Amino acid sequence: MIFDEAFDVVVIGGGHAGCEAASAAARLGANTALVTINLDLIGQMSCNPAVGGIAKGHLVREIDALGGIMGRVIDRAGIQFRLLNRSRGPAVQSPRAQADRSLYRTEMRAVLENTPNLHLRQGMVSNLLLSNDRIAGVSMQDGRQIGARAVVIAAGTFLNGLIHTGRTTYTAGRAGEPASIELAEALKRLGFPVGRLKTGTPPRLDGRTINWDAFEPQSADEHPVPFSFATDEIHQPQIRCYVGYTSEKLHNAIRRNLHESPLYSGKIKGVGPRYCPSIEDKVVKFADKDRHQLFLEPEGHNTNEVYLNGFSTSLPAAMQQELVRMIPGMEEVRIIRPGYAIEYDYVDPRELGPDLQCHRLPGLFHAGQVNGTTGYEEAACQGLVAGINAATSVQGRNSFNLRREESYIGVLVDDLIRQGVDEPYRIFTSRAEYRLALRHDNADERLSKYGREVGLVGDREWERFNQRRDRIAKVRKTLGSERLKATDPAYSAVKLLVGELPESITLGELAKRSGVHSQHIRQLLPTTIRSETTNADLEFALADNLYSGYIKTQEAAISRLNSHDTTPIPSTLSFRTMSGLSHEMVERLERVRPRTFGQARTIPGMTPAALSTLLFSVTSPN
Amino acid sequence: MDTIVAAATPSGRSAIAVVRLSGPTALDIARLLVHDDSFSPRPNQVILKDLKTDDGAVMDQALVTFFKAPHSFTGEDMVEISCHGSPVVVRRLLDRIQQLDGRLAGPGEFTLRACRNGKMNLSQAEAIRDLIDARTAAAAQLATRQLKGELSNALSECKQYLIDVIVKLESALEFVEDDLPELQRMAVIDELAAVRSTVDQLAKSYESGHLVRDGLNVAFVGRPNVGKSSLFNKLLTRDRAIVTELPGTTRDSLTETIALNGIPVTLTDTAGIREAGDRIEAIGVERTHRAMADADLLVVVLDGSTEIQAEDRRVLERARAARHVVAVNKSDLVLRADPEEMLDGSKVVHVSAVTGGGLTDLSAAILEPFGSVDAESVGLLVTDSRHCDLLLRATAALEESASLMRDGASEELVLVGLHNALRYLGEITGETTTDEILGRIFSTFCIGK
Repeated sequence: MIFDEAFDVVVIGGGHAGCEAASAAARLGANTALVTINLDLIGQMSCNPAVGGIAKGHLVREIDALGGIMGRVIDRAGIQFRLLNRSRGPAVQSPRAQADRSLYRTEMRAVLENTPNLHLRQGMVSNLLLSNDRIAGVSMQDGRQIGARAVVIAAGTFLNGLIHTGRTTYTAGRAGEPASIELAEALKRLGFPVGRLKTGTPPRLDGRTINWDAFEPQSADEHPVPFSFATDEIHQPQIRCYVGYTSEKLHNAIRRNLHESPLYSGKIKGVGPRYCPSIEDKVVKFADKDRHQLFLEPEGHNTNEVYLNGFSTSLPAAMQQELVRMIPGMEEVRIIRPGYAIEYDYVDPRELGPDLQCHRLPGLFHAGQVNGTTGYEEAACQGLVAGINAATSVQGRNSFNLRREESYIGVLVDDLIRQGVDEPYRIFTSRAEYRLALRHDNADERLSKYGREVGLVGDREWERFNQRRDRIAKVRKTLGSERLKATDPAYSAVKLLVGELPESITLGELAKRSGVHSQHIRQLLPTTIRSETTNADLEFALADNLYSGYIKTQEAAISRLNSHDTTPIPSTLSFRTMSGLSHEMVERLERVRPRTFGQARTIPGMTPAALSTLLFSVTSPN
Repeated sequence: MDTIVAAATPSGRSAIAVVRLSGPTALDIARLLVHDDSFSPRPNQVILKDLKTDDGAVMDQALVTFFKAPHSFTGEDMVEISCHGSPVVVRRLLDRIQQLDGRLAGPGEFTLRACRNGKMNLSQAEAIRDLIDARTAAAAQLATRQLKGELSNALSECKQYLIDVIVKLESALEFVEDDLPELQRMAVIDELAAVRSTVDQLAKSYESGHLVRDGLNVAFVGRPNVGKSSLFNKLLTRDRAIVTELPGTTRDSLTETIALNGIPVTLTDTAGIREAGDRIEAIGVERTHRAMADADLLVVVLDGSTEIQAEDRRVLERARAARHVVAVNKSDLVLRADPEEMLDGSKVVHVSAVTGGGLTDLSAAILEPFGSVDAESVGLLVTDSRHCDLLLRATAALEESASLMRDGASEELVLVGLHNALRYLGEITGETTTDEILGRIFSTFCIGK
């Protein structure tokens, strides 16, 4: 084949998955091209202008710990930082930041432009080129052919994208951008099982037409917690968001006009996310609620656009204008961009290995919405995994996989490739069995070693990580050894705080008592330790101290349940000839091809009877 | 999968005996047995056939029934042969089938295949084992209830309540920015207490359930000639032990099982304890001591018509360390003994092996230390120690969570115990997946900014 250009790795798409993938592959030394329809929209946030949130913030910190770029970019483009769940335990706290949408694009573009080995190319990929049943490159709509030893598809909602507003539909990848139809058809031709999903976005409003006094302001944290372990301080001026509510009048108007909604007229076939319902869904499914919460999120420092979070809709654009005016405080509001729903193709992620490479077509990797996920963070972490593996695969290195016990990224990838999706997949902390061990603040301790090993964590970050780790080790040791005794001057004050107190207690034990906060413990640390310990270090050590016992009892319960999980299932085992397995169970098993009993156990829809059958066969001596 | 064979009825003489075959070649083997290649019985139809040896000699005339997969006990092709109940016939039949490549089944292998083929779950298989082994009607009834899945059902309801609580706590954690109703900690504590109490009650029912399934060992002890064997016979309602007026008639321990309130009680009549007269008696006394050690309860029999003797005192001394009941026998005669001073704290019943007086009291006294269970009338009892262990673990996990909840601990800590409890209950009823919990969250609360 004769190519106009050739690279080691070609990444299709410049969204959150594509940027991470291209950056990782290039920094690992692979000659990499990022091909996208419009270079000016690299790093575009298609929906809400925010990064992070519960579990999603964990993902960003994990990406950062591994050497990815999302954390650094949002730290530069974030205009309202908040640590969520502050009143709860450290494992379920998570950072979230509103972004300046335009600034985020600029910062992301700058990061990519400054990456050696990385080449940006504008154009639409229309086909995949194969040679000897391997990926060999891509061809473009404009006729160019680009050679590649590995290709990452990160095309987001562009694959066969179809926008709905009211009864109007038109093909598009995002409002104002063309859909990628030929590439979607190419995937079908290659035999990939393709399904349809749906997502939606709310209208953007002109901030000058909102009566801001009618809304309740919500401020940023006084001391913003950055996403990146490399960020010392957030420099962006911080803005406020505002909270408001829908009204009964609005609900009634929506109910009257449901027939105009493609969701309810049956026009939309794709499955939407249950946790991100449209306003039509909210009004219908939770009819007893007399109001629904809305967030007004300014889109940036230099724009009047305001994102109306909580009002995702696919009602006709003209009608949206009337409806939003029924929101108290928006009587005069004008819509800048109407909301819409979009349907798009995704490929069953059970086609992939843990490295996100397709079994069907070696050298082809899938990341982001093509795998049925939703969310920038979910996309970015897959982009990172796919980008690393695209590079290591062309370099002949071992593949890079993360386990679910050690990371949310591992949980996400594992869920996708083993269970597939039947609605857009979003990460939740409850998806992680080991939630208490997977904290946002210890992502570096869990993962930086892997990032370093593979070659993404630079010397400076590695040095920084080691220093932090040593400081924390020292605090941890102090918590276990340093005691508060009855003879200490602080003893009586502490006793007043907690009630019963033994004659002598380690600071670690004391910290677990209710009513004792990290500031109290800080006061009790020996002065030398206190002066060299940051608040974050202390919180870290205290979280370890708090959770260790719980993690143990949980492990005991899980390991009982999973006592057969490591039992291997021979690759030669034929499910079809195993007596007593229904046709449906055989299909599920064959599709996943579990390598251990544990993997088989978590295939959705497997019946206990089918599992006992399988267990009998893999454990019986003959 | 090969074809297995076994006699389904116990060995020994009987009117008929049943031999079962299960596996892909069951019908082929049957054809060879009846020397008829075209033998194709309609499923579930009973047909009279001659069973023949290799050279065509008739072994027996038998009723043959074919069950076609998957509509059989094991879910495989099965053939049931009801032949005459002679051990010789059964032996020859089994040998012949093995020649025809049938394999003698291992213990429980038919049930195992039924499990494999999805005809029943593990807990139902356990129930079948219990049903077969049941020694009283009540035990059989309990096993039947478990077979019908009553334990699973009782727990499923409990599990739903537990999931409700988990859903509330998980939502509070995951959807902080959503406009959810505030978590009512006191209400959650009450809900947890209700779940815990149900699980705990089921766990505690094991004590009774275990009794109904496994029964009690009760030994009759006492010095010679106080009437142990007479009482034993009276309780059995037949003359099992030889009774004479000669002290030391019972030389060896005798064992029989009766049902008291549906509980299988194994009674052991022992040789009287005294300085042994001869070697045989000495061995008998030694066995008595062993029976005493094995018993769940001792019935110390005293002769109420004579003075308390030194030997009585020695027996009582020994028995006092164990659970025991004192039966003062011969209450139909003039009472001479006044054992009260030395029976401090012991349960005493007056009985007469001759008239049968006081036997109801004795039965009640035997059962009393094991709870007032009337197995014939109580509800669902847990009979399996594995189930009991899991329920106890679940109770402990729930208690831990409730206590954290009371202390105002953060939800993720409370949830550790709740998820653990769910895992333990899941080992009995089947697992709950994260998606089920998330699904419940999204249908309960309006989530989504």
